[in-house]
Amino acid sequence: MIRLSTNTIYERGIGSIQNQQADMVKLQQQLSTGRRILTPADDPVASARALDVMQADSLNTQFSENRQNAKSALEMTEGTLQGVTTLIQNIRTTALQAGNTALTGKDRQGLANVLRSNLDALVGLANSTDSTGEYLFSGYQGKTRPFAQTSTGVQYLGDQGQRMSQVSAVRQVPVSDSGGNIFEQIRNGNGTFVTAAATANTGSGIVDAGTVVTPASLTGHNYDITFTVTAGVTTYSVTDTTLSTTLTTGNPYTSGSQISFDGLQFNIQGKPASGDVFTVLPSTHQSVFTTLNDLINIVAGATGSSFNSTQLANGINTALLNLDNGLDNILGVRAAIGSHLQEIDSLQSLGDDLGVQYKQNLSQLQDVDYAQAISDFTRQQTYLQAAQDTFVKTTKLSLFSLL
Amino acid sequence: MGNSILGIGVTGLNAAQAGLLTTGHNISNANTAGFSRQQAIQSNSIPQLTGSGFLGQGSQIATVRRVYSEFLSNQVLQAQTQSSQLDSYYAQIRQIDNLLADPESGLSPALQGFFRGVQSVAANPGSVPSRQAMLSSAESLVSRFQSINQRFTEVRDGVNGQIASTVTEINALAKQIADLNHDISVVEGAAAGQPANDLLDQRDALVTQLGKLANASAVRQSDGSYNVFIGNGQALVVGTQTLTLTTMPSPNDASQLSVGYVIGGNKVMIPESTLQGGSLGGYFAFRSETLDSAQNALGRVAISLAQTFNDQHQLGQDLNGAIGGAFFSAPTLGVLQDTSTTSTITAVISNAGNLTTSDYRFGFDGTNYRLTRLSDNVSITTTTPPSGAAPFTMDGVSITGVTGVASGDGFVIQPTRGGARDIAVAVHDTAKIAAAAPVRTSALLTNTGAGTISAGTVNTPSPVNSNLQQPVTITFHTPYDGQFDVTGTGTGLPASNQTYTAGADISLNGWTMQISGAPAGGDVFTVTPNISGKSDNRNALLLAGLQTKDLIAGGTASYQSAYGQLVSQIGNKTRELEVASSAQENLVTQTRQTQQSLSGVNLDEEAANLMRYQQAYQASAKVIQTASLLFQSILDIGK
Repeated sequence: MIRLSTNTIYERGIGSIQNQQADMVKLQQQLSTGRRILTPADDPVASARALDVMQADSLNTQFSENRQNAKSALEMTEGTLQGVTTLIQNIRTTALQAGNTALTGKDRQGLANVLRSNLDALVGLANSTDSTGEYLFSGYQGKTRPFAQTSTGVQYLGDQGQRMSQVSAVRQVPVSDSGGNIFEQIRNGNGTFVTAAATANTGSGIVDAGTVVTPASLTGHNYDITFTVTAGVTTYSVTDTTLSTTLTTGNPYTSGSQISFDGLQFNIQGKPASGDVFTVLPSTHQSVFTTLNDLINIVAGATGSSFNSTQLANGINTALLNLDNGLDNILGVRAAIGSHLQEIDSLQSLGDDLGVQYKQNLSQLQDVDYAQAISDFTRQQTYLQAAQDTFVKTTKLSLFSLL
Repeated sequence: MGNSILGIGVTGLNAAQAGLLTTGHNISNANTAGFSRQQAIQSNSIPQLTGSGFLGQGSQIATVRRVYSEFLSNQVLQAQTQSSQLDSYYAQIRQIDNLLADPESGLSPALQGFFRGVQSVAANPGSVPSRQAMLSSAESLVSRFQSINQRFTEVRDGVNGQIASTVTEINALAKQIADLNHDISVVEGAAAGQPANDLLDQRDALVTQLGKLANASAVRQSDGSYNVFIGNGQALVVGTQTLTLTTMPSPNDASQLSVGYVIGGNKVMIPESTLQGGSLGGYFAFRSETLDSAQNALGRVAISLAQTFNDQHQLGQDLNGAIGGAFFSAPTLGVLQDTSTTSTITAVISNAGNLTTSDYRFGFDGTNYRLTRLSDNVSITTTTPPSGAAPFTMDGVSITGVTGVASGDGFVIQPTRGGARDIAVAVHDTAKIAAAAPVRTSALLTNTGAGTISAGTVNTPSPVNSNLQQPVTITFHTPYDGQFDVTGTGTGLPASNQTYTAGADISLNGWTMQISGAPAGGDVFTVTPNISGKSDNRNALLLAGLQTKDLIAGGTASYQSAYGQLVSQIGNKTRELEVASSAQENLVTQTRQTQQSLSGVNLDEEAANLMRYQQAYQASAKVIQTASLLFQSILDIGK
């Protein structure tokens, strides 16, 4: 037989009521805060995991902000470059117009003035700033005006730096392009070599841009094509001026026939005079400003007595070619910006999905399951009620009450 | 004969009265803590021999004894000691658990906020508001470190206070037990060996109380007094003498209290390891197992953050064009001498990435220098005196110098304890944030080839190479022969006829870049100082990238996950203690119930006894009345 002391009866009763109350208060706290984990001790693993998920979520939000920033920076650049594209197309039209032999010198002077103001506009666009007043196209030197008009033409004062933005955990996309890359790193000629008529030419030979037919045979040397007219027969010789060797001489010339050597090919139309020289040089980088300056000089120079329609034609051809090169380069940059914008958009929707997942994950880790908790709470109420009732009934029984 | 009947009646009356007294005593002490119910032990008196045999002489009370089991009391004492250790440990750790409970007020949001600031500088490197945002978020991160650490320090101070008041209480209890030893021997001597039940109960209750405070054992002596021992058999009470315990600064760490005793005016420390059990044991266990490592874990995050962030920041270039300085002022480690040690050592954190959350002990035994990690007592030794040239290193902690260290000298090294307290933001000028890289590269516009040059990176570790910003020019041979010449100032420069491999690293003067594609003869690439590179965000991107890099605990944890480890460690330990302390509480309840089922008062039982002794009393009174009637009938004969 177990002998119970009266104190034990009270202690046990009170102890169980207190336990039930503690459980109930905990459920009540969970229900009122909506949190399953009140302190890390409630679920140590989930608490630490929740912190990790919160960091991942915060990073995801950060990347989303970065994407917005990157997007607006790219759109800003894109908008500016769109203006540049339109401007260059206008310049191209003006150049074509200037090539019209029916124009008078005065007309050309007018066109040259249009081109000069176009140059100013182009420099203005190249010196665009963003919302914070930093120059868009100066590389790393946002506070440095990237393009300055000097007596020797437009100078680039920026650098080739490209700013990146972290748009996802593993991806950085460029959000800026240097002015050097956009306006200066433009191959002239056909990209491999440049043909030109010497300024002293007196004939009417007009040279085209030419093409590469056998890339393996290219030398990268400078060449002169020198014409000789003897007894009405026009021939030309090809000299490698880099090595100072004559490649061929006495080649018969007909207008428009292909001239090819060392893997390259071009044609000359018209009637070159004896002693006329055409040069072939390897392509170099030529800024769109230089191209425009050259064009202005050609157009402005084609007036008065010094007017030479062949020179004008050759000059305008070269200018058009280089303008197209510039346009291609800018379109290339814009295409890259477009693809970055697209990438950012798809990363954005991925990031949004991820954000939803993180929040769900966090909710699963931390939040209370209300259905479960309310049912637990009701059950706990019953237990507590039972504990209280039985305690009262048990302790009421005393022999003394019968004495 | 009648006289005899009267006598017997009186003995019965007395016995019943004693029974009623004892019952009344039990009833009135039913709620007295430590009271053992008492029983009046009744026996029959020595009978009188007559010619017709032995005639009973009535009853007597042999003794009043308490119903008590030393064995059960000891069980309760043991269980109670364990339980109160777990309880006090649990009560302390709950404070930290609660501190870390709210994810919004922990370190994580501040850490995320700080890196948000870094990202904002990466997005707008030249913007002063962005830079200010980064500085402000750094300040708030630092203050979060400090406020959590402050809370730890408060808890530590609280533990000191608890230890001091516990020691005072132990001394008072020891004094009372010694006094009772004296009283019991006096009273029992006077009472010819009858037990002083109530005094004994009082003394047992005091021992139980003592057991809640510290691991105490009472040994009953032949003269009935208790000798009480605590810890490793340290005598606290011997007869009527007591030992006075005192608190003293821990020899390893003056900021925390240890327990010692006073002997001959000197304080002698009782090793903490021997004071397990009771709330005192709980405080010590909490402090050494949890509080130290928790504070260290927080400090480790602070130190690692400061050092790794500084390392990267010092590879960058600020808005003024200068190489970046330290962004945070990096906390230094703490070295504590043993009280007997007068020599000094120099210790530094040589690699924040390898730090653990343990403290270390460095000692010299005359031959070997020994560095011990205190968390698991793993140690390394050397016979060479550590110096700057030959540092003695364990877990990123290096001893770089010893001055006058003699045999037996000892030091405790706390690499991370002060980390969260000491971290501060060293940069206060927005321009001094090094968001840019110090060099930039370019391919000359006159290049005819299709070679491209990468943006270039600065080599780790900081500090940067002194020639980092010297302009360097790379020129490809004309005609192109796959080789280039490098000119400029720096180690190994100028260098001629270097073979070109597309995409291969070219590292000079502390930077690395790659040239790829097909450069042509005469092409020139340059590496130049990044003068006025105000919009450059390369270093800011690298700084922002540190957030998710595993830079702590030997490259296994990020800042966030190292803090997460702390949270889960505290959570686990709290949970473990919650379960253990409630299990132990149940054990205490059970043993106490067993003890109570023997010694406790049951009021119904006492009610029954009350009736029983009442009736016995009435019956004895009847016997006396009968004797009186008998005597009366004798008197009536003469009428």
